[in-house]
Amino acid sequence: MGSRRSLFYVLTRNLHLYIGLFLSPFVLVFAVSVILLNHPGIPLGGSRALEAATLHVEVPPGFDRLEDIDRVRQAREIMRQADVSGEVGFVGYSRSEGTITIPVSRPWSEATVRVSAKTGMASITQRRTGFLAPLIFLHKMPGPHLANIRGNWAMVRAWGWLANGTAWLLLFLALSGIYLWAILKSERTVGLFLIVAGLASFLGALYAICR
Amino acid sequence: MPSVAELWIRRLHMYIGLYFLFFLWLFCLSGIVLNHPKWTFAEFWNERRQTSREVQISRPADTEDLAICRSLLEQTGIRGEISGNINRTAPGVISFRVVRPGDIYDIKADLDSRQARIDQIHVNGWGVMNMLHSFSGVRRGDPTLHQNWWATGIWRFSMDALSVGMVITVLGGIYLWFIQIRKRFWGAVALLLGIATLGLFLVA
Repeated sequence: MGSRRSLFYVLTRNLHLYIGLFLSPFVLVFAVSVILLNHPGIPLGGSRALEAATLHVEVPPGFDRLEDIDRVRQAREIMRQADVSGEVGFVGYSRSEGTITIPVSRPWSEATVRVSAKTGMASITQRRTGFLAPLIFLHKMPGPHLANIRGNWAMVRAWGWLANGTAWLLLFLALSGIYLWAILKSERTVGLFLIVAGLASFLGALYAICR
Repeated sequence: MPSVAELWIRRLHMYIGLYFLFFLWLFCLSGIVLNHPKWTFAEFWNERRQTSREVQISRPADTEDLAICRSLLEQTGIRGEISGNINRTAPGVISFRVVRPGDIYDIKADLDSRQARIDQIHVNGWGVMNMLHSFSGVRRGDPTLHQNWWATGIWRFSMDALSVGMVITVLGGIYLWFIQIRKRFWGAVALLLGIATLGLFLVA
């Protein structure tokens, strides 16, 4: 019984250590990006416009009749011709002007591709988003917005799995951490006090904000 | 025997983790739910309840818009963060939005006729969790948002504190691994794998 318990302890301790080490950079990204999101005055560093370009593209027929992911798929075809890649946001189509607007974002840059559906002339404007901007990009992706089209770029899709994996594994780290703490008899009183203090702060903050 | 520094780094790693346990669970779970907007069981926007009411108000003595809005909130018993622009749509008419986790209020008050119309959207517990995840009163790139409610300040501080706590916990954890010589190799593999995986996304 004792050896089984000690095997469980060793296994939990090792998993806590190695999973924690693997997650370390991801947790740092999420933690630092929270500070950046909560304090918009902190500069992201080095945001600047890149050169604009114009070129001719083939606009897929019937573009104006498409919606959601079908429209994004065709927008990606235009982007391929314009050599632009990234996560596509809401693709706008102005019937009166006959223009298609494709917003594209990547960790380091944002681009807007504007295409005249009549002439096929496309103008591309790009901007570097700053040294710290990728942290915010990763924190917000995939997120709750534009659910029907989100994850249209393979990198965002893969990041979504990793971001969710990070959250699940953090829950495991928290639970395994509780077990590893509970084993240490000398730390039980202080630990219990901190759990209760943390719970009180948590419920107090929730009460203040939600009541 | 561990050194005093090692003992305290170990304790700090453990104590911070235990203190922030519930905050961490909330943000992890809400993050997962936010990343799965198609999960039907966590649906909240389609389940929202909308109500409207007219109330009598007295004209606030204040002259500054934010103070007028706060006075109107006090009179109507509404608590929350005044979000976005305060609009003067007509002489004597002031309209603004108030948000708190679970509720969104659009208030249009006619200070001359002393009437206010309150449109309220109430969402379920999933909606509350969703809103708590990002309730800071500010948004990067939106200069109309300025935190103006003390409770938002507490929540925002909690998010900051959790973030700083996680950074300390991570750095402490790395130190505690590094001093275990027998575990350095596989620990380095795990850490480098994490850095390399993240690097792939950062350079994408």
